[in-house]
Order: sequence, then C-alpha cells, then structure tokens
Amino acid sequence: MKIALLLAIPAISTAQVTPAAIEKSPNSGWLTYNGDYASTRHSSLTQITPANARNLVAKWVFHVEGAKKLEASPIVHDGLMYVSNTNEIYALDARFGRQVWRYRAEQAKGTRVNRGSAILGDNVYFVTADCHLIALNRTTGNLVFDVEYAKFKDGYTTSIAPLAIRNGILVGVAGGGSGQRGFVASLDPVSGKENWRFWTVPAKGEPGSDTWGGFPAEMGGAPTWTTGSYDPELNLVYWPTGNPWPDFYGGRRPGDNLYSDCILALDAATGKLKWHFQTTPHDVWDWDANEPIVLMNATFRGRARKLLVQANRNGFYYILDRVTGEFLHAKPFVAKLDWTSGLDDKGRPKVNPDKIPTPAGTKVCPSVRGASNWMSPSYNPATGLFYVVTLEQCDIIVASAKEPVPASGFRGTGNEGIPTEPGKFYLRALDVLSGDKKWEYPMPGPGIMWAGTVSTAGGVVFTGDDDGNLVALDARSGKDLWHFPTGHSLFASPVTYMAGGKQYVTIATESDVFTFGLFE
Amino acid sequence: MPLLSLALSLLTAQMPTAPAAIEAGRQVYMGSCSGCHGATGEGSQGPSLLSGRAARLPDNTLFNSIRNGLPGTSMPNFDLPAEKVWQIAAFVRSLTAPAAAASLPGDANRGRALFFGEAKCSGCHRILGEGGALGPDLSNAGAERTVHQIRESLVKPSARIASGFRPATATTAQGTVVAGVAKNYNNYSVQILDRTGKLHILPRAELKQFEVRDGSLMPPVADTAALTDLIAFLARQTIRPYTAEAQ
Repeated sequence: MKIALLLAIPAISTAQVTPAAIEKSPNSGWLTYNGDYASTRHSSLTQITPANARNLVAKWVFHVEGAKKLEASPIVHDGLMYVSNTNEIYALDARFGRQVWRYRAEQAKGTRVNRGSAILGDNVYFVTADCHLIALNRTTGNLVFDVEYAKFKDGYTTSIAPLAIRNGILVGVAGGGSGQRGFVASLDPVSGKENWRFWTVPAKGEPGSDTWGGFPAEMGGAPTWTTGSYDPELNLVYWPTGNPWPDFYGGRRPGDNLYSDCILALDAATGKLKWHFQTTPHDVWDWDANEPIVLMNATFRGRARKLLVQANRNGFYYILDRVTGEFLHAKPFVAKLDWTSGLDDKGRPKVNPDKIPTPAGTKVCPSVRGASNWMSPSYNPATGLFYVVTLEQCDIIVASAKEPVPASGFRGTGNEGIPTEPGKFYLRALDVLSGDKKWEYPMPGPGIMWAGTVSTAGGVVFTGDDDGNLVALDARSGKDLWHFPTGHSLFASPVTYMAGGKQYVTIATESDVFTFGLFE
Repeated sequence: MPLLSLALSLLTAQMPTAPAAIEAGRQVYMGSCSGCHGATGEGSQGPSLLSGRAARLPDNTLFNSIRNGLPGTSMPNFDLPAEKVWQIAAFVRSLTAPAAAASLPGDANRGRALFFGEAKCSGCHRILGEGGALGPDLSNAGAERTVHQIRESLVKPSARIASGFRPATATTAQGTVVAGVAKNYNNYSVQILDRTGKLHILPRAELKQFEVRDGSLMPPVADTAALTDLIAFLARQTIRPYTAEAQ
C-alpha cells in the first residue's frame, strides 16, 4: 500500500490564490465578496440553465450555531467554502457541507454583523467587529496574524468583507451613523502592517476640507463599510463612501461634505486620490454611496471606454468613465424619486428645497433605506443587463438641530415609515448602457430583505427575495424558473461554484447556509 | 466576635485579582486543600473545584465555605484571617479562569525553548504562525483554556481530544491510504488533513476502509519540571494582551 499517494485521490490541491486568478474569476470558485475585482458577480458556469433550473434541489444545509443574521457572501476555493459570522469564520467542505475548521476571535469586542471574507495566497482574511484584520491559513484555520487597524474605544466598528489585491488587503470602517472619521486602509497580506490609509474626511487645510464649514473632520463620517472594486490594469481601487454625520441634519456642516457619498478612485500602491465623484452632495437623507461599484468595458456613444456603473441609494443609476471619473450618464431606476428635479451635465443633483428634512418631518422618496443598498447587483455581458434589487418606498424624515455628540446614538434624528405606503421590492434588469428597465420581478413580502444577486453564463440569474425564497430567473426574460422557500429572511447575496465537477448555488440565511444543485 | 469580624470582612474585602494574592492563595491551598481537592482542583477525596456546583459558587459563598467549612461533610473550617481566606478563594477561582490569569510556577522561557525544541511540540502545534498543523493552534491557549485543561492535555493527551483532531486512516478503492487527523466525518464523507498539511475530501462510498481512532497522536508529557515550564509558557499565549477586566 502507498501512503497518501495524492495524484490518485481527489485531494484538495495546494493552489495558492493569485491576483491573476481573482481577476479571471468567478469560475469554479468564488474568490471575492462580489465574485471578481470588477464586482460583476457574473460566473462563467453553465451547468445550470433555464432548461434545467427546475431540477434544482437542496444538497446540504449548514447551521451556524448562535447566528442571528448571516450577511456574508461565502468565498469558495479549492473545495472549501468560507462563511463568516460576527467575530468568527467557518471553513466548510463545499461539496458535502461539513465543517473542516472554525476560528473564533474569542477576545473580540462588538457584535456587529459580518459580510464576508477575502482570500489570497494561502490565507483567508476577515475582520472582527472591533476592527482587527485576521489572517488564517486557508486549509487549517491556523492563525497567521491578528492586527488592529482602528480603535474600538474610539467608536470604530466594522462589518466589511476585505478586498485582497496584489500587496494589499483593503479594509474599511462603519461610522456614518455615529460620527467617526472614515478611511480606507491597505494592509500588507503577509504581516498585516499598514501600507497606506486614505481618510475620507480631509483634515483642516487639506483639499476638500473647505466643504464642511468648519465641522470637525473627526466626526465627519463618510464611512467605508462595503467592499470596493479594483482595476489591475489601471492599478486603481474604486471605493464607495457613506453619508456625512449627523445623518439627517446638515446645518452644522454647510457645504458638499467631501468625500461623503462618493465613489473614490485611489492609487492601489499609494492610496492617493486619483479622482472622486459625489452622488449626493451635502446629504441629509442618509444615502450612502456604499452600493457595489461594477466595472465594465464597452463602446459608449461610439467610443470604447472603461466604464464604472452603480445603482445608487439616491435612486439614480450612474455611468462614469473609470479612468477619469467623468460623468457620462444617469437615470432613475425607481419611480418613487422626488428629492431632485434632475442632474446637471456634471451629474450634480438639483435638490428640491422642500425635500430637505425639517423638525416637523418631510416626506422624501426614495426612503432612507434607498432605492437600492448594499445588496449586490450583477452584470451579464451576454445579455447586457444589470440585475439590481430595488426598493420603491418613501419615508418621513425628521431633522433636528441638536448639538451633535459622536457615539451617542445621535443621528440628527431619523426616519419614520409611512404605514399606508409599505415598501415594495423588485429585482430589475436594466440595460447596462442606458439604465432602461428591460424587465422586473416583483417580490411580495414584509419589506425587510437585503439579499442580492448572482448571474451565470448558463443564462440564469439567482436572487434572494423578500419572502425568504432563493429564486432562479431567466436572465433574458426574467421568467420565474425555480424557487426554494428557506423559511428565513434573507440578508445575504448568493454565490455559485463548482465542487466535484458539479455546479452549486449557495445563499446564507439568518442562521444557516443553504446549498443547491441539480437533481441526479 | 467571629460573626462581627466575618461581617466586617465581607463588607470590606472582595475577591483579590492581583497575581501576588493568587500566588499566596496557591501556597496555602497546596498545604491545606490539595490533599482532598487535588493539586489543580481536579478532585480526589473531595469534589472537583473545576466543574459542577463548586465551580459556580458566588464569591461570598466560596469564602464562607472555606472559612466555616460545610457541616455534614468532610470539609473542615479554616480559621484563618479573612485576607488569607480570600487569597485561597482567589486561587480556587483562578483554576476555572483562563490560564493567562493564573499565578503559575515554572519558567516560561524554558517552556518556549522546549515547545519549539527538545519537546518537539511545534512539530504538530502552531503558535502565531510558527509550527505544524496536525494539532490544535495554541496561539490563544492562555485565553481559552484553564491551567487544568492545559495540564490535562499535556499529561493525558487522549483524555479529551479537540474536535477535528482524531487520528484517522482512509483507504480508497484503489488501495491508496490517506492518514492524518479527521477534521470531520460521517457516513457520507470524510475530511482528512494529512501530515503534509493537505486536506483530502473523500466520499465515504468510494472508500474501502475508514477508521477513526480514539487515542491522540500526541505522546504524553511526563510530570517533571519540564511540564511545569511548558504550562507556564502555554498559559501566557494570548493573541491579544490578556487582562481580567477586558474579559
């Protein structure tokens, strides 16, 4: 007998994850939060098609002990799936759903949810709620490093899925609702040492600091709580930022409040700002620009361009030139939008003055949750469609001029729903170059979902819906092909991958990880 | 007036947390308590102090049990100054606290040298990225395990095997043998990490034979000075600085 003759058996290979492999994904694996550096969430897998999607069945369910609200999009590589929860991460056998290892940061503080992990080389990376970046060996779960990149005692927390690029693990922080100063940081993948940090609120005297009317940068917010995108060729990182603080009262921060509600283009090597585009200057509606940024190349108005698109919380679908940051086009993707009469030729909104929140309360559309939010869209180059979960809703927003105190719970007051006008979710397929709606899939439900989408070359788009179903739709027509009621509410985006030669689709629910494959 | 003095001591004193006080308590404990409760509270003639009711006593009840004894049992009273009783109580409490909080004899530096050298622990165990993968990562051993648990793992490695570390051997239909530790297994699949650090995911139906053994791969450490040094070293392994207050 031969001991561990590896070629003859289906061993997990030792393939390290390279930036080049991430650039080519998603194929057999799922290597970043949004599938690839361009955040398309479009997989090259073709086994599941509109013709056979009806044969999808549950293959395994993994229960995450103690989980209340899983929001992670799993990472999948080399037969293992990484699922994170607050201050912990599991490695599961992607084919059989069995736990291979679990790492729990026993000493971590904070209880914020966790949205996922990153993978590079032989390491898996995730953050704790108290802003430590933890690197673990991807096969054994053994600790490689645990570094603190922001102080919990200063009010910093995080939920972000890091982004792993060449020579850098990119992380961000929460704080738009509590008055911390946002930043994006690049940490060394081997040591965890900080390479650079870009503060999203400029210090006094720095460019952009004159857009705050003297409001202290330390309280400015502009958090970086969702995962950005990356163009390896331009070596630019595209990172979205959140709202200025206090969320709903802008009287003490007169001006545009840079770089809140922005799409930032940062040099990946230095963290220097190449350009920025602000979607909602002087935001008083809590419309973070933290929605995923999708990169694509296309001929736009007769010219081949490197583009960037985003379905923003403020209700507009934006198309920018990602080399220069030039505004090219925008179009509302929800009907309920009344805060602006439109955008000028630079993309700057003309705000309706009667939609500025007041102490008496102001009805504004879209709602505070936004026309879309951090739930991930996907883009299928074959159909030319951009699949995005949208919310048609308005809110009453109440503002207050109270003295702002950071980390006190104060947000300049807040929003109230309108009981007679409940929010309605839809999955919408937009023409990627115009923003025109091609089809939509209504999602009846309680109006609480945060699930996103995944698109496949097989011609199927998967989405979580507002009633707890994982749904398969025909990517071209939106025809409903299959659904599975998970019995939970959904707060995570699905992924797809191969294991043992078969295509699987996975979504995390409140407390479990559900995986589906074709009946055989 | 013992009642008054007891009342005063309860009013004025509380469980000390300083390492010096715990060490002072350990010294009294070793002389007066270990005969019945064992050197690390594991119990012998007397009950274990590491689990069950004894491990959950409120501070004052623990103090009173030591000071006054437990009528109807063989637990005698110890007529010691309140300060001394509190020190014993603090030591007893430290037995169920993370090892990082304990006052321990032994030379941690020598323990480190043993771990990464002569004792060959690092062949299988890893601390902050250094070492093998076949045994549990011990980077946070001091924050996650009690002294008793660390001692037991060293002296009786097979007494309790951490989940995912049972020795296992699988033989495929072709006769290939995979040996290592079972990260997981059931009737349908097995997940084995081999000695080279490779993970094998094997459908059970495709295996000719599969065996998981109850004993640990780890040889026991003899109860010598080396053991004391290894415990002292492992108890100090915490990923983040350990303070009782922070927990």
